[in-house]
Amino acid sequence: MSQYIIRRLLQMIPTLIGISIIVFAISQMVPGDYITASQNPNMTAERADQLRALYGLDLPPVQQYFIWAKNMLVGNLGDSFQHKMPVTEVINTYVWNSFVIAFATLILSWVIAAFVGVFSAQFQYSFFDKVVTLLVFLLMSLPSFFIGLLAIKYFALDTKLLPTGGMTTAGLNASGFEYLKDVGLHMIMPVAVMTTLSVGGLTRYFRTGMLEVIRQDYIRTARAKGLKERTVIFKHAFRNALLPAITLLGFELPGLFGGAMILERVFNWPGIGQIYLASLNLRDYPLMLGFTMFLAVLTLLGNLISDILYGVADPRIRLK
Amino acid sequence: MKKRLSLMLVTLMAFGSILAACGGGEEAASTDTTTPTETATDTTTPDETATEETGTDSESAIGFTEATDVATNNDVALARTDSAIIGTVAPQGVFNPLFHQTSYDYYVDYLVFPSLTKVKTDGTYENDLADDIKISDDNKTYTFHIRDDANYSDGTPVTASDYLFALKIYLDSSYDGQADPLSWNIVGGKEYNEGTATDISGVKVIDDKTVEVTVSDYDAMTQVNLGGVTPLSEAYYGKDYKQGDVSSIKAFNGKPMGAGPYKVTKYTAGQEVDFEANEGYYDGAPKIPKLIYKVTTDTTNLAMLQAGETDLDNITVNEDNVEELKATGFLDVDILKNNGYGYVAMNNNNPLFSDVKVRQALTYGLNRAEVVEAAYGPYAEVINIPQSDVSWAYTDENIDPYDYDVEKAKSLLDEAGWVEGADGIREKDGKKFEVNFSATADNPVVDALIPIMTENYEQLGIKLVVETLDFNAIMEKKDKGDYDMFFAAWGLTPDPDSTVYITDGAQNNSGYSNPEVDALYAKGKKELDINERKKIYAEAYQKINADAPEILMYQRTNMLAINGRLDGWDISPYKDFPLSLHQVEIAE
Repeated sequence: MSQYIIRRLLQMIPTLIGISIIVFAISQMVPGDYITASQNPNMTAERADQLRALYGLDLPPVQQYFIWAKNMLVGNLGDSFQHKMPVTEVINTYVWNSFVIAFATLILSWVIAAFVGVFSAQFQYSFFDKVVTLLVFLLMSLPSFFIGLLAIKYFALDTKLLPTGGMTTAGLNASGFEYLKDVGLHMIMPVAVMTTLSVGGLTRYFRTGMLEVIRQDYIRTARAKGLKERTVIFKHAFRNALLPAITLLGFELPGLFGGAMILERVFNWPGIGQIYLASLNLRDYPLMLGFTMFLAVLTLLGNLISDILYGVADPRIRLK
Repeated sequence: MKKRLSLMLVTLMAFGSILAACGGGEEAASTDTTTPTETATDTTTPDETATEETGTDSESAIGFTEATDVATNNDVALARTDSAIIGTVAPQGVFNPLFHQTSYDYYVDYLVFPSLTKVKTDGTYENDLADDIKISDDNKTYTFHIRDDANYSDGTPVTASDYLFALKIYLDSSYDGQADPLSWNIVGGKEYNEGTATDISGVKVIDDKTVEVTVSDYDAMTQVNLGGVTPLSEAYYGKDYKQGDVSSIKAFNGKPMGAGPYKVTKYTAGQEVDFEANEGYYDGAPKIPKLIYKVTTDTTNLAMLQAGETDLDNITVNEDNVEELKATGFLDVDILKNNGYGYVAMNNNNPLFSDVKVRQALTYGLNRAEVVEAAYGPYAEVINIPQSDVSWAYTDENIDPYDYDVEKAKSLLDEAGWVEGADGIREKDGKKFEVNFSATADNPVVDALIPIMTENYEQLGIKLVVETLDFNAIMEKKDKGDYDMFFAAWGLTPDPDSTVYITDGAQNNSGYSNPEVDALYAKGKKELDINERKKIYAEAYQKINADAPEILMYQRTNMLAINGRLDGWDISPYKDFPLSLHQVEIAE
């Protein structure tokens, strides 16, 4: 097993090198750089040249790539141009805010999707199933900003049940439990909206997985030997239906840290998604490239973890 | 049903604004970049400027509207008896006037870091940290005396060597802020920058509070640049500084310490900045003890003002918003001219536009008033010179307003030798008049401009071909000179000096060249008397107006909404709201 993990980790190296080359090449091909994108009306040509030299933007792209790659190897992602601090620090400042809501969303949407998916598979083509299917497609097709704004209108502006946005109440110098309560209150809307959006697709996965398992012979056997329906579904069928979902779980890893660009803006959530988007627009390459690589590593790791978990959960494909 | 429909519309419109904001916000980028040197000139204020200003203020929809009924004020706001909450776009946490880049970081730095001089409402300048400035007869030696009562918020005095220290950071080879300190021509600055000297020979600390700066060459900006420097406490910032590496200074960006009216007590990235009054502030302790900058978004900032959750915010100017704000009764609405203008650039080096008559024809032949009305309603005005009409350098004497006139445009094109061909498109020497317009997506002006321009120019016999590109892609085409037309906007500094219209100027996008204009700009930069400068720039603007190097479009506005419980503001397009925050008080 450990040999397998080591082999997979080693295989990640060429993949990462490939990704880094592609990402860097794309950034070089995009027109404009930080100095042109910041559109300073007072910037003289001389000062622009000085800044480019300072940032190393005047070097040939190949040389820039190797400097960047070399620094990355020692854990230095460089300094963000716009934030004027190390990229790792910028990411660390904002990524946890994104993680908090992404994690809550993950738990909620998986739990809801699992139950709904199982029930609609168990009662396939029933009224419940049809309503769920309709709802699922409805939710999947709703644009996020739209329900985001609707939620703000109804819950924050009209009924004043929840705060309009942000992560904490301004001027509230709370700590401990008070602080958690405040953040929790601010989290409700973004988490609810993100869950609504992601639960739809997941439900379909669970439903399909469950339907496949439910038709297996061993389920019929289980029923035939007189087991209670609940035991059949949750003990025998559900666990097997969960197997394909492990792959999905692996893919969720980068999503946990990736931030939600549009919803973070709508709910004014201080997450990394907005910062990442701004770095693209402002051509803040150290931040943009650094965070992209960070996500790439997480994606690869997510894949690896889901492969390992697969082996743990399913003896049929367990590695020797 | 009707109600639901309007809700839908509101939501969709709000979405539009989000997308626009996400899509790069070219104009936002251009106006948000403010440099520490962005300030005005002389200390004298001619009376004309003041009258000019009130003249524009009383005009139409633009200007200040006081709250009508403060008694209706929201309890949430009234409950904050010792604090005010200011809504803002998220600052980036670069709280150092040498390094900051967005207006929102600037908003914070205004409160923490005073400089030797500060801008006044009319765009001219007055003493702040300095109480005396002496300039030698040859205009090359500037002696600043720092106020004796000026102390940092930690109680230590602001000294002349702190000023020198700040200059050293500016001139350090690793300094990567937006200012261009080498252009200030400080004697010995270049040597310090290159590392061949460990001191700046042109800066002499005479005593604790007096510093003398010598420059090798001066212009109208010299005093502005030198006066705009913020002394940085060497004891606080300079512990680990070594020449050639300013990273130890930047490490303090999140923990600013200055001599301003407020000190930062807490900064939570992307959420809020908390301030506390600096009791020892030399201009008197601020009247509001606690201040919070809270990050808001344009989808909810208006609702938060209405609900009393914030006391001040920038709101997008449009008729619906203005109406809604005024309807509350307890909000002051201040619609201020934006320091900038939008224009359609024409490639003057392109044979299509090299003839001044063609450029004039294209300006006459475009219904600019209609475009501006479509994009901004009554909250923007067509302009004819590249200067804000609140600037002291503004003139409308001998300026052709280029009112929409199809016949005049046609005859100018005829004179220029472009005659209508068989298909109705004008031709000259076998070449058809076809213009490629590079447009950015999601820009309200471009959306309004394109249909009107296409139709207007069709009437003139000109074919407009529109391609939609990313703003940076357009800028790259511009740098290569490979374009016909594009729309963009410039930010304006309080000083009229600029390189946009001088031959091969750094910001000259259109390739425009007129030796007379070059000479006038050079003269204006060297002249220190504001009345003389006015004449020089008026002449330059008249020439630019006649040459029509680009189609000047509009000057738009920004809107501040302020809770009526806060009084004592002194705000103008040049003097941002934080500059008068220390004198604002909470009305009973």
